[in-house]
Amino acid sequence: MKNKTKKSPIDWAKILSPVFIILIAILITSILILAIGCHPLEAYHYMLLGAFGSFGALINTISKMVPIAFAGLAVAISSRAGIFNIGLEGQLLFGGLGAALAGLYITGLPALIHIPVCLVAGMISGMLYALLPTILYVKKGVGLLVVHIMMNSIAKLLITYLVSVPFAGDNKMIAATNPVQDSARLPYLLTSPNKLTIGILIVITTACIMWFYLNKTTSGYELRACGDNMEAARFAGIKTKWYQAGVLLASGALAGLAGSVEVLGTYDRFYDGFSPGFGFDGIPIAMLANGNPFGVLVGAFLFGALRIGSLNMQIKAGVSTEIVSVIQGILITLISAQYILRFASNKLVNKQKGEVTQ
Amino acid sequence: MNGIIVAMLIAILRLSVPVIITGLGNMFSVRAGVMNLSAEGMMISGAFCAVLGSYFTGNPWVGVLCGILGGVIVGAIHSLISVEFGGIQNISGLGLNMLATGLTAFLCRSMFGTAFSPTVASIQYTRILSNIPVIGNVLAQLSPIFYIMILLFLICCFIVDKTVIGLRMNAVGFHPQMVETAGIDVWKLKHISVLICGALAGLSGAYLSIGQLNTFMDSMTMGKGMLAVIAVQMGKQKPQRTVIIALIFGFFDALQLRIQISSIAIAPELVQTIPYLVGIIALALDTSKNAAPRLLNPYLKNKYKF
Repeated sequence: MKNKTKKSPIDWAKILSPVFIILIAILITSILILAIGCHPLEAYHYMLLGAFGSFGALINTISKMVPIAFAGLAVAISSRAGIFNIGLEGQLLFGGLGAALAGLYITGLPALIHIPVCLVAGMISGMLYALLPTILYVKKGVGLLVVHIMMNSIAKLLITYLVSVPFAGDNKMIAATNPVQDSARLPYLLTSPNKLTIGILIVITTACIMWFYLNKTTSGYELRACGDNMEAARFAGIKTKWYQAGVLLASGALAGLAGSVEVLGTYDRFYDGFSPGFGFDGIPIAMLANGNPFGVLVGAFLFGALRIGSLNMQIKAGVSTEIVSVIQGILITLISAQYILRFASNKLVNKQKGEVTQ
Repeated sequence: MNGIIVAMLIAILRLSVPVIITGLGNMFSVRAGVMNLSAEGMMISGAFCAVLGSYFTGNPWVGVLCGILGGVIVGAIHSLISVEFGGIQNISGLGLNMLATGLTAFLCRSMFGTAFSPTVASIQYTRILSNIPVIGNVLAQLSPIFYIMILLFLICCFIVDKTVIGLRMNAVGFHPQMVETAGIDVWKLKHISVLICGALAGLSGAYLSIGQLNTFMDSMTMGKGMLAVIAVQMGKQKPQRTVIIALIFGFFDALQLRIQISSIAIAPELVQTIPYLVGIIALALDTSKNAAPRLLNPYLKNKYKF
């Protein structure tokens, strides 16, 4: 059996299982929409219209995809080295705060220097927030999962405190810092019909660099080797601990970048609760894309469309936006069951070829 | 002063009930080698189903049963994926959390039009106990689920250490292969432990919605399920230790609420971070790493291998 699957030149089973996942998710969502008395096709129609119906809607979708794509890339790089980073949300929040503070308190720089400084500040602060779990994991073997969950909870509480007491803005009605300097705001590519910042260029560049690093450099090859088989990589003389620590920090930096771009581009200041869970959006995207940076961009585009389109769906079809987290939940749950889906599609493929003998 | 201490004690007990019940459930699951991050989802599902049961029948005890059922449903999905089909436990847990939180919010809005359900019959007080002299008034302020919890704790202590099934569950967590060789159904044990976890988490969700309040709110669990997961991890899957850690979490939660209503100039958020910081330090200083670890990954059935 094992050898037979290896023989087929195109791994149909691998292609079939994501298709299965998306189809099942659409099916369950449709049943749910039917259950509350709306027409699913009509709801999907309004969702697509809201996300792609006009040029302005398309721009909105693209600008929504930027932080999601960064989060996806952050999960992707760590998953390629066989590490699952769910501390993204905390790193993203602190990255955003770092960028906002650099934009707020560093004055007198031209925009050309100030923006990179803020972005780097965001990356470093995201990375620093990832430092403690990384050290504990690599040095002492403390499980990442529980520490990351705790770090996320701490981040949410600390950010609420920092934004409402030490760095509180002049407007006491909202929990936010003061607006950043004009020189720190990301410049716009388009201003009408809707605003689009250069964030999208940064994320595409990052994805290209990541693809090049993973596929065309020795270090990227060693990183992937760690992900495929940690023990084998270690015996081959690859410094697996360094790669583990490295991807965790890089992942933190990318998450920080997600927060920075959102703060500097969309809000111009740090709002408490500016992230509706971008960090968790990254997980299903990276897993559906199998850690491929360009796949992540496509996935982020679709998730951005989901978030933007659901607003229109709520207004026009009366299906509340909570459906987004239902869809995401179904996707993640099905991704976790990927093994059995792969097993089923493998059986299906083999059966068609008549290779399965009882 | 005496009044404050009593009020504080009641607050601690009331606030730690959900973490304790979910923690006890989660302990079974982790002991049998199934990491269960979906505790949060089980709780919110339990909370919502409890309100539905109470809303449609008017009887809060039917609500509690529905709540348990709600938790078991999420538990069944989790055990189907991560025990039967060899899926990735952590991701399944996270996905189910998101799914349950989203689905309950979606259904609540679709049924009632807002993020709140209407108020339903609840079981916030145990009136029978108020006849007891001296402490009766204090005891009556706690929900009956609190007393169920004490009973559950004693049963759990007995099951994990003194019964065959409890010891077998523990063995499955360490050496599934060995247990299978001994002729015991590994998967059945794992399924049972995850379903127990679902039932208990559902009960604690019912406590949140109709034991502490009388209504359901969007994402009302607010990280309590994750606290339970952490309590189990820090308590090393022992019922007594888990309960103590859950009580410590409850203490800081009560302290934070007290600071909010008093005029002390400490940010309540900072007080709330203390248990997490203590948790991280405790995990970092833990020296018992050399003991054989529990295998928190799926043990695949032969028929699904390829």
